Amino acid sequence: MGRKTTFERLGIPEAEQKILAGVGAQYESEMVYHSLKKEWEDKGVIFDSIEEGLKNHPELFRKYFGTVIPSQDNKFAAMNSAVWSGGSFVYIPKGVELDTPLQAYFRVNQERMGQFERTLIIADEGSHAHYIEGCTAPVYSTESFHSGVIEIVVHKDARFRYTTIQNWSNNMYNLVTQRALVHQNASMEWLDGNLGSKLTMKYPSCYLIGEGAHGEILSIAYAGNGQHHDTGGKVVHAAPRTTSSIVSKSISRGTGRSSYRGLCKVYEGATHAKSNVECDALLLNETSRTDTYPYIEIEERDANVGHEATVSKVGEEQLFYLMSRGMSEEEAMALIVRGFIEPIAKELPMEYAVELNRLIDLEMEGTVG
Amino acid sequence: MDSTVVKPDEAKAAAPEGVTEILNLNRVRTYSAPEPNWLKERRLHAWDVYEKTPMPTTRLEEWRYTDLKKKLHLDSLAWPKLTECEDDFGACPDGLQEAMQADHSASGHVWEIDGVVFHIDLEEGLQDKGVVLTSLRRAIDSHPELLQQNLATEALPPESGKFEALNGALWTDGIFLHVPKGVRLDLPIRVTRWVSQSGVALFSRTLIIAEPGSQVSLVDEILSEDLESQTLVSDAVEVLAKDGAQVQYVSLQRLGHGAFYQASQRTLAQRDSTLDTLNVSMGASTSRVDLNAQLLGPGANSDMLGLYFGDDSQHFDHNTSQDHIAPNTSSDLLYKGALDHTSRSVFRGIIKVHPKAQKTDAYQTNRNLLLSDDARADSLPNLEIQADDVRCSHGATVGQLDAESRFYLMSRGLTREQAERLVVLGFLGEVLSRLPLGGVVEKVTKVIEAKLRQV
Repeated sequence: MGRKTTFERLGIPEAEQKILAGVGAQYESEMVYHSLKKEWEDKGVIFDSIEEGLKNHPELFRKYFGTVIPSQDNKFAAMNSAVWSGGSFVYIPKGVELDTPLQAYFRVNQERMGQFERTLIIADEGSHAHYIEGCTAPVYSTESFHSGVIEIVVHKDARFRYTTIQNWSNNMYNLVTQRALVHQNASMEWLDGNLGSKLTMKYPSCYLIGEGAHGEILSIAYAGNGQHHDTGGKVVHAAPRTTSSIVSKSISRGTGRSSYRGLCKVYEGATHAKSNVECDALLLNETSRTDTYPYIEIEERDANVGHEATVSKVGEEQLFYLMSRGMSEEEAMALIVRGFIEPIAKELPMEYAVELNRLIDLEMEGTVG
Repeated sequence: MDSTVVKPDEAKAAAPEGVTEILNLNRVRTYSAPEPNWLKERRLHAWDVYEKTPMPTTRLEEWRYTDLKKKLHLDSLAWPKLTECEDDFGACPDGLQEAMQADHSASGHVWEIDGVVFHIDLEEGLQDKGVVLTSLRRAIDSHPELLQQNLATEALPPESGKFEALNGALWTDGIFLHVPKGVRLDLPIRVTRWVSQSGVALFSRTLIIAEPGSQVSLVDEILSEDLESQTLVSDAVEVLAKDGAQVQYVSLQRLGHGAFYQASQRTLAQRDSTLDTLNVSMGASTSRVDLNAQLLGPGANSDMLGLYFGDDSQHFDHNTSQDHIAPNTSSDLLYKGALDHTSRSVFRGIIKVHPKAQKTDAYQTNRNLLLSDDARADSLPNLEIQADDVRCSHGATVGQLDAESRFYLMSRGLTREQAERLVVLGFLGEVLSRLPLGGVVEKVTKVIEAKLRQV
């Protein structure tokens, strides 16, 4: 089947016409499809594959590439920096506000494949945009590997949101470095949904380097049988009056294990920094496991930092109540889980929230009994 | 290449880390020569583990924020003069006398100077009931079976770590407390330990065994004046609470500047027992406390409290773990600290719920107050949960003095300093109110007040 046809069958171009400002699709290691609505193109928005970005916009590329995540940052970032291929190059010009999201879609179709996505996004002063990334792969018996590096620069007064809904097959190793530099009064939001993969290690980061910068990380993880999600977030406060918040919700089912690993660092001089971290874990079976490993490093007196985490199982009273209302145990469980992730699902565009809930329902099938 | 030349790497490998002119196998051999065989073997084994265990570095999670290379200089330490002091209150150093005077309401006392116990007293009625309070050295002869079974075996074997092994090989004396079945002590046992020599390495141990249904509390205070050169004070504390026993262990660390304090504490709580601890860290240049609470029997409960106040360039590192091994156990940890000047604190705590420990209730809270621009607090509250029917939560905060509370107090006529002092006392006081042991609250409050006056 032709590559483009796969995506057509998945209904991507159709969705694009309706709700998206632009769409990119990556198949194995190359971008096969990229389009941007004309009105945005006219305003100077760039939405290209990373290779085209390098070819068509060398100055921008050279200025920003590798500045947020240098190749020596970590082993996988180094590997990616050496062999990257595919990914998006996005530039939102000064003051441009996109009212609909940009969408990229990643698929690994071959077995024993390594995918090295590299994405570079620049949101210029006062701009405003939302980027959504979706990932899938069919199930093979051998393992595959996705190692992405995503660099984002959010300039003064800009607002940017990056959403990932990852539903890789359960034999995928998903090791991603995601980082954003957030300048004065700018705002960066990571919305991170991890459902698939065998092992995911991903800690979206916000480096708040300008006064008044704001960073937000919302993450949900659903670890089913044999899955391990080691996810979380990092916020680094390096300027005064910076604020951040991390909300992490995880569900572990069967032999699934979900771990929160996060860092909140406040450097000396980042006066009046405020940060709040909340982690909630839900355990569905007695074989499920959850861990929380937060790091809190505070060097500034005028900072307020809080971290809270709770671990619980599905309340028997809640279950009993819903079942007394005529629901089956499975339906009741699914409803409780949906309620648990609701604070994050409601941040998604409608279509994605529906999709997420459907995926959760699918995952929940056979939970009971 | 000339094979007789020893390359630097080989020379390094030849001398295991932490072996010095005074801390070496010969020392262990000489020291243990007059001791019974079982103990001699135990010390030699501990030394063997010590030599084989690498010195912890900041690459280890548990030592990430405390760099021993910079903080501890084992090479410079001397072996202390281990002399039995005269059992005469009046002959004791002023600081020690002062601390001892405040300890009038007690079931018994132990006084120790430089790692050697020189005085023990215990209420007569308790002696008749079979309570044993003695020095560890004397217990070698008087209670060999209990020691052989429990000293550095189940709770703190040398395999626990580098410092645990070193202490296991070279401990000089310490406290042995045994409370028989069903015996209850109304007043705490008070231990006062004084460090007078500077530039030495001191190793002391505490072993507490509370038999089923017994009840006891022990307040262990260690103090010194400022020490001219670095002095290592190493403590190993083993607390065993058998079925239904109630035990409280309180450690008040008030060492002077120059001390490197290292304590390893392990508490084993059996069925339906209560085993509470309070660690008050006020003194020493560097203070590292490892506390591991194991909940081994259903119904066991541990409250773990901690309080620290740093000034100058003090460095506190508290490393705690709550191990829920049996079902239906509970633990609750609260560590609070205030940090002034360039002082620094590290709190690393972990709640581990083992797969069979269903119905666990475990909580962990660490709160820090930064009083100066240069102070720093790092907090790592961790959870590892492998059972599903549990209630666990943790929280950590780092913040500054509450401006509203201060404003309110100042509007009531207090000066800024008075108001700040009161707010800090209130902040730290929450910990003390959870363990209202006679004398301890007053004593700690006084120490905090003294520290606040220097601010």
